[in-house]
Amino acid sequence: MTLVAGVDLGSTTAKCVLLEDGKLIGKSLSPVGVELVKDADRALERALVEAGRERSEVSVVTGTGYGRFKVTFGQLTVTEIGCHAKGAHFLFPGTRVVLDIGGQDTKAIKINEKGEVIDFAMNDKCAAGTGRFLDVCAGALGYDVNEIGTLSLGARHPVKVTNTCTVFAESEVTSYVSRGKDPKDILAGLHISIVNRSLSLLQRVGIEPEVTFTGGVSRNEGMVRTLDRRLGLRVNVNPLSQYVGAIGAALFGHERLGGSAA
Amino acid sequence: MGETATTEPGFLTTARERQRQMVEEYYAGLADAGGAKKPIAYMFVGGNLTEIVRSFGYEVVFPEIVALNCAIKHASLPNILNAESQGYGLDVCGYVKNDLGLQEIGGQTPFGRVPPPDLLVCSFSGCYIYVKWWEALAEKYGCPLVMFDVPYMRDALPQPEDIQYLVAQLHEFVALLEKTTGRSLDLAELRRTLANSRQAEQGWVDYLASGRRHPSPIEAYFEAVFYMFPINVLRGTKAAAEFYATVNAEVDERVRTGRYPVPEEKFRLVVEGVPPYPSYRTFWDFFRKWGAVSVAATYPKVGGLFDRGFLHDPARPMESIAEYSLGAYVNQSWPLRRKIIEDYVREFGADAVLIHGIKSCRSFTAGQGDLRDWLIHDLGVPTLYIESDHEDPRYFAPAQIKNRMDAFFESLQQRRGASAIATVTA
Repeated sequence: MTLVAGVDLGSTTAKCVLLEDGKLIGKSLSPVGVELVKDADRALERALVEAGRERSEVSVVTGTGYGRFKVTFGQLTVTEIGCHAKGAHFLFPGTRVVLDIGGQDTKAIKINEKGEVIDFAMNDKCAAGTGRFLDVCAGALGYDVNEIGTLSLGARHPVKVTNTCTVFAESEVTSYVSRGKDPKDILAGLHISIVNRSLSLLQRVGIEPEVTFTGGVSRNEGMVRTLDRRLGLRVNVNPLSQYVGAIGAALFGHERLGGSAA
Repeated sequence: MGETATTEPGFLTTARERQRQMVEEYYAGLADAGGAKKPIAYMFVGGNLTEIVRSFGYEVVFPEIVALNCAIKHASLPNILNAESQGYGLDVCGYVKNDLGLQEIGGQTPFGRVPPPDLLVCSFSGCYIYVKWWEALAEKYGCPLVMFDVPYMRDALPQPEDIQYLVAQLHEFVALLEKTTGRSLDLAELRRTLANSRQAEQGWVDYLASGRRHPSPIEAYFEAVFYMFPINVLRGTKAAAEFYATVNAEVDERVRTGRYPVPEEKFRLVVEGVPPYPSYRTFWDFFRKWGAVSVAATYPKVGGLFDRGFLHDPARPMESIAEYSLGAYVNQSWPLRRKIIEDYVREFGADAVLIHGIKSCRSFTAGQGDLRDWLIHDLGVPTLYIESDHEDPRYFAPAQIKNRMDAFFESLQQRRGASAIATVTA
C-alpha cells in the first residue's frame, strides 16, 4: 500500500489530494494567502484528516502550481501544465485536449494517449478570461461568483462584452447596468467572452473530439454550457475537476514509486 | 532527471577577456573619434556597408548594438522612458526608443559616450520603423541620410537584377562619400578591409559549426552573443579577423578537456529570435537548469548568414557587398527563414526549437506564431514560443516564462520515457 500526496498551490486556492494505490482517499481545498508554505502544509493536513491518515504514512509529496516551490516538505515539483494533463487523462483516458481555467491562468493542453503534454498555449500577462475575471465582474454586479453561472443560463439576449482586459470589463459591466440591461444577459455576455478567449487557445493546440474542462471555473455551469455550444460537443467535467492538478501531481509521485497512472 | 543546480555559466576565458577588451577599446575609440572630428556613420547591423565607410575613414556606430549593450547593463529603461516622454508609444521598437532617449542625454552610456552621427546609412530598409528612426535622427542632427534600398529576398539565391540594382546604388553611395570626404575610393584599401572581413567570417563560421558536435562545446545563443560583437561591430578590422582564432582554439580546448557549456547536455535546442537582453542571465539560467544548450540559433546571424555559404569576396568588392546585403537574415522571406531553421534542426541534431518573440518588434516577430505551428504540426518538432522584449524590462515576466519553460522541458523529458519530475529548486 503506497500513499502519495499532490499539493496544488494556485493563485487563489490550495488543493491537496491523497492517493492510495491510485485511489483518491482524501482531499482538501482552501484559500491561499501570503504564507504559501503554511498554506501548503495546511492543505496536506486537512486532506490527511479527511482520510484519517498520518503524515508519516505519506511516501511522496509532489508540489504543483505557481507556488510549487513553496511545497518545501515535498520531494518533487511538476508544473501544473504537466499535472493537469496527467490528472485529466486519469479521469478521462480518452481525452486529448484539456482546458484548464484557474484563478489567473487559462491553459489549453494537447496530450497524447499516455497523458503526456504534446503542446500547450496559455494566456499571456493578462487575467482576462480567467477565474479572476469572473470574480471581478460578479462583484461589479453584486453577486457571489458561485451563483453567476446558473444565473447566466436564464439570459435571453446576451450582451456583447468586447473588452479583453479584466479592469476594463468591469467598467463595461457597470456601463451595461447603468443602461438597465438584465444582469442575466450581462452575465451570459461575460461567459461568452471568456469562452471565446479560451477557444483561441484551444485552436492553437488543435481541438480534438474529447475535451476535458478542469480548474475552478469548470465548476461554473454557465461556462460549461457555453463551451459545449461553441465547441459543438459535450466537454468532460468531473466533480473533482478543481482537483485535477493535485491529482496529476499525486500521480507523478505514484509513478516515481513505480506505480502506473493508467 | 530534471532541473539541476545552477552554477556560473562557463565562458571561453581568453576569448571572453579579449572580447571585453575590444568592446572597451571600441567605445573609448568612439569618444576619441568624436573629439578628433573623425566622421561617424550610423548604420544598421543587417546588410551593413561597414567596409565601404571604413575605407573612407569613418568610424561606425550601430545604435542597435549600443541599445542592447545598454539593456544588458540594465540601463535601457531610463532611455526608453525618456523617448516615451517625447511621445513615442509603448509599442514602438525598444532599440529605437533606447537610441532616441539616449540622444537626448548626449549619448552618455555606462560604457562611454556615443557621438552623434555625421552620416546616416539606412542599410536595412525592410523595417519601416527603422526608416523613421533614421529620419528622426537626420532631422535632429541635420546630417545626410542615405537610403540603401534592398529588395526583399524572395529566392534562395540573390537574383542578378537585384545585385545590379544594389551595385548601382553602391556606386552612387561611393560618389556621395567622395564628395563629402574629399577623398577618392581606395579600392586597394577596400579589398584589404574585405579580406579582413572574410577572415573573421570564416572563423565565426568554424565556431558556429562546432555546435554540431555531441555534446556541443558551444552555447550558440547566449554565449555566442558575446563573441558576436567583433563580427558585427568590428568587421573589416584586423582585430576582428584575428579574434576568432582565439575563440576556436579555446573551443578545441573545451573538446579536449570535456568542459562543456553545461555539465550534462540533456536538450539540444535551436533558438529563433532576439534575446531578452534586460533579463539575459535570468533567461539563460532557465535553460541551464534543465541542461539545455542552444546548438544553433538564428539571431547571431543577423549580421550575416556566413554559415550558409556566403563570405565577402575581395576580388568582387561591390557585387560581394550587394550579395551580402541581400542575404541578411532579416531580409529573408519567411519560407527562406523556415528552411534555415528546419536545416538547423536536422544538421545540428536538435531536440526542439525555442522562439523568443519581441513585444515591441513586429518586423522580426511577425510570422513567428505561424513558424511555431508549422514546426509542431508539419514537422513534428516540439516548439515553445515565449514573448518578452529585447530592450524593455517591463515586458519580462519571470514567473510566467519560467513556468512555460519548465512545462516544455518536462514534456520533452516525458516523451523520452523519463518521468517528468523535478527536484525542488526554485
